[in-house]
Amino acid sequence: MPETVVRLAVGDFRDRVRRPAYAVVLIAAVGLGYLATPAPESDWVVMQVGDYRGTYNSAYTGMVVALAATVWLPLGGFYVVRNAIARDEATGVGRLLATTPLRTWTYLIAKFLSSVLVLASMLGVLAVTALVMQWARGETMAVDPVRLLSPFVSIALPLMALTAAAALLFETIPPLRAGLGNVLWFFVWTVLVLAGQSPHAPLGGIGVHSVVQSLGAGLAEQGIDPGTAGEFSLGLTQIQEPLKTFDWQGFDPDAAFLLGRYALVAIALGLALLPVLWFPRFDPARGRGLRAPASGLLLNPAAGTASGGAVPAATGLPVAGVRDDRAEARPAAFANPPRTPVTYGSPALRLLAGEVRILVQGIPLWWWAGVLVLAVASQMVTPATGVTRILLPVAWIWPVLIWSRLGTQRHEHGVEALLGACPAVRSRTAAEWGAGFLLTAAAGIGPALRMVTGADTQGLVHWFLGALFIPSFALLLGTLSRTHRLFQFAYLPLWYGTVNGLAAVDFMGAIRADDGSPAGLPPVFLAAAVVVMLSVVFLSGAARRATS
Amino acid sequence: MLELVDITKVYRGGKRAVDAVTMRLETGMLGLLGPNGAGKSSLMRIASTVTRPTGGRVLFHGTDVVARPGALRRSLGYLPQDFGVYPNLTSREFLSYLAAAKGLSVRSARARIDELLQLVNLTEAVKRPLGTYSGGMLRRVGIAQALLADPEVVIVDEPTAGLDPEERVRFRNLLSELAADRVVMLSTHIVSDVESVASDIAVVAQGRLLRRGSPQDLLAAVEGQVWEVLVDPGDLPDVQRRQLVSRMLRTAGGVRVRLLAQGLPYGGAEQVTPELEDAYLAIVNRAGQPYAPSASDRSAGWR
Repeated sequence: MPETVVRLAVGDFRDRVRRPAYAVVLIAAVGLGYLATPAPESDWVVMQVGDYRGTYNSAYTGMVVALAATVWLPLGGFYVVRNAIARDEATGVGRLLATTPLRTWTYLIAKFLSSVLVLASMLGVLAVTALVMQWARGETMAVDPVRLLSPFVSIALPLMALTAAAALLFETIPPLRAGLGNVLWFFVWTVLVLAGQSPHAPLGGIGVHSVVQSLGAGLAEQGIDPGTAGEFSLGLTQIQEPLKTFDWQGFDPDAAFLLGRYALVAIALGLALLPVLWFPRFDPARGRGLRAPASGLLLNPAAGTASGGAVPAATGLPVAGVRDDRAEARPAAFANPPRTPVTYGSPALRLLAGEVRILVQGIPLWWWAGVLVLAVASQMVTPATGVTRILLPVAWIWPVLIWSRLGTQRHEHGVEALLGACPAVRSRTAAEWGAGFLLTAAAGIGPALRMVTGADTQGLVHWFLGALFIPSFALLLGTLSRTHRLFQFAYLPLWYGTVNGLAAVDFMGAIRADDGSPAGLPPVFLAAAVVVMLSVVFLSGAARRATS
Repeated sequence: MLELVDITKVYRGGKRAVDAVTMRLETGMLGLLGPNGAGKSSLMRIASTVTRPTGGRVLFHGTDVVARPGALRRSLGYLPQDFGVYPNLTSREFLSYLAAAKGLSVRSARARIDELLQLVNLTEAVKRPLGTYSGGMLRRVGIAQALLADPEVVIVDEPTAGLDPEERVRFRNLLSELAADRVVMLSTHIVSDVESVASDIAVVAQGRLLRRGSPQDLLAAVEGQVWEVLVDPGDLPDVQRRQLVSRMLRTAGGVRVRLLAQGLPYGGAEQVTPELEDAYLAIVNRAGQPYAPSASDRSAGWR
């Protein structure tokens, strides 16, 4: 049985690493490694102990890159590996596997292992990057492979296992399978990373606290009082002055620490196996709920069936759910084609209406009720400028799953095959953006009205620019990636930064200066960003058509 | 009316899907026949302006539509082999959206959608979201969208796949009717789909145009080369290795084999009237090789 698991996992891993997206993931991993080991004169750090950082020897370089991976890979990596089961549905391989004697738990463990392998391969690239960066920084040329690699194995890898298990678990829970799961994971990750660094975190949290203690001991050995050195910081921080350095010879995990890591892996295994209780094994009759909410239909003539799933055209997909064929009456005749003469008109408004319909298709009533509640609540805020601090960000996180459809739907539903032969390509793109703008404006209408009644002109200008920015950003990322995930992955940190008062990323005018004026991104910058993003959308569309 | 001049398509990775194909299409139906992977779909996508060729020109009324695709797109009805729909829209909403994309006026779109829904017999299902439609119903939605703009050129790629036999016949008849005053280009690998309706057949394989002509022309080319012979089941592998077999039927006395050969292949073989399938097999299998297929070629394929 272990052999079966390994062969399945390796086969799945091969399929994943041979996709072009994997190269992008590895490049991102290299970028993270570079970011984690900035040059001494750089104005950012990923890890610092107050005013200090370690000399770039193998122990410190390995640790800082591994901790960067521990913090950031569970976020990015989750979005990378959360299609383990979806790929099998999309390609139809799942149905083939379902008819084999393969046990469900074996399948799930193999998928889990494959995801761990993907994330571990990213760690491998990061480890190599750490080595290269140690040499590139040139502060210590001697390499201690054990010190360099052990943080990746003992600290980062268990978190990767946990991430892989969470991704698999989310995939098997219908409501969490698509965008909602992506959004939820962002918040889970935030809690995991922040609370996991606490000294009181169960099982040693994400393992950082023990490292902090070791770093403190390293400082003390060199006569620096850790209590006065300043606070430990892990993430991505801007610094005013270069940090001072100290020598740190590495972290020797004790038995309790290792036990905590083993426990994390055990929890991960448990989470990965939990879906055994409900996994429908690609049975459409049982797995109706497994369909992604935004999934489309693709006509697969070879099979003569309509199929559901969020994948490009040309792939036959499983029918999820039983279709109602009662109304499929026998065609009386395909005779006498219509002869009503065709006249042409200006289709701009109908295109816009069509795109709005397509964008908001399938949105439940409670979603609109939420918009209404926010609109009403906004009118009660005093002073008017106060509406931007909480209610505007809430209003503009509400449609995040719908925005992420922009730029993806034609491809996702396979309609591109029909639209490719239609005229007015640019008008359709413009209409799609217009639909996104209208949705953004509708979601934020409450705060906007309050700004109008409160004569908050500056706020309105920023609101308007935010309403231009968001659909442009979504359309750009959707057009380039053709997936919902990239926008969800990129928008949430921007939004979270804004909510947490980070003026440098405030694109909606949420943060106010003492005099009440918006303190976020300058209007000119936002307007220019919108122009650039839309230009890229139109140019990439033309380039794609030219190279199709 | 529609002219493909020296069309070549080489995909990334070097695969040459279409190789210097030239053909002119006038009013009537052209049936494009070829095995899977022959380049039919690539050629159809190029003809319908979806894919840009690596080389060559597509002319519509003399205008190069590779450079100016809009000239053809307004007059084009295209039904691709694979296509999707927005699952939460109804058929009317979906067709209305496509009518806007094609630039039809409101009144014209409304009238034609009504007529087309009737034509494909979807009026009863018109209020249901497309996500609840069966494969055959979706195929009919595809047919309706192809005819939205009363196209001068209709390009349909494997259109009858997914339709039941009755629907296939009806759809073929519809295409035949459309071809009375339009250019219709129909691609398929099912010989029976074209033999009853296409007056003009083009056979492609490995991206190249191998033969073009009327069904009678194609049949004439294999006249006297189609045989039937009764063989012992034990000899069947050897017959398949040596000859191009188009059909086999097990009978009480042995296996009745229909095969293509330029001369009498076996004693007792009877010459029979060629069918289009025989002609097609002969053309495809003779491409770039001597008529009698080599043992390795035959053994590599399906038998």
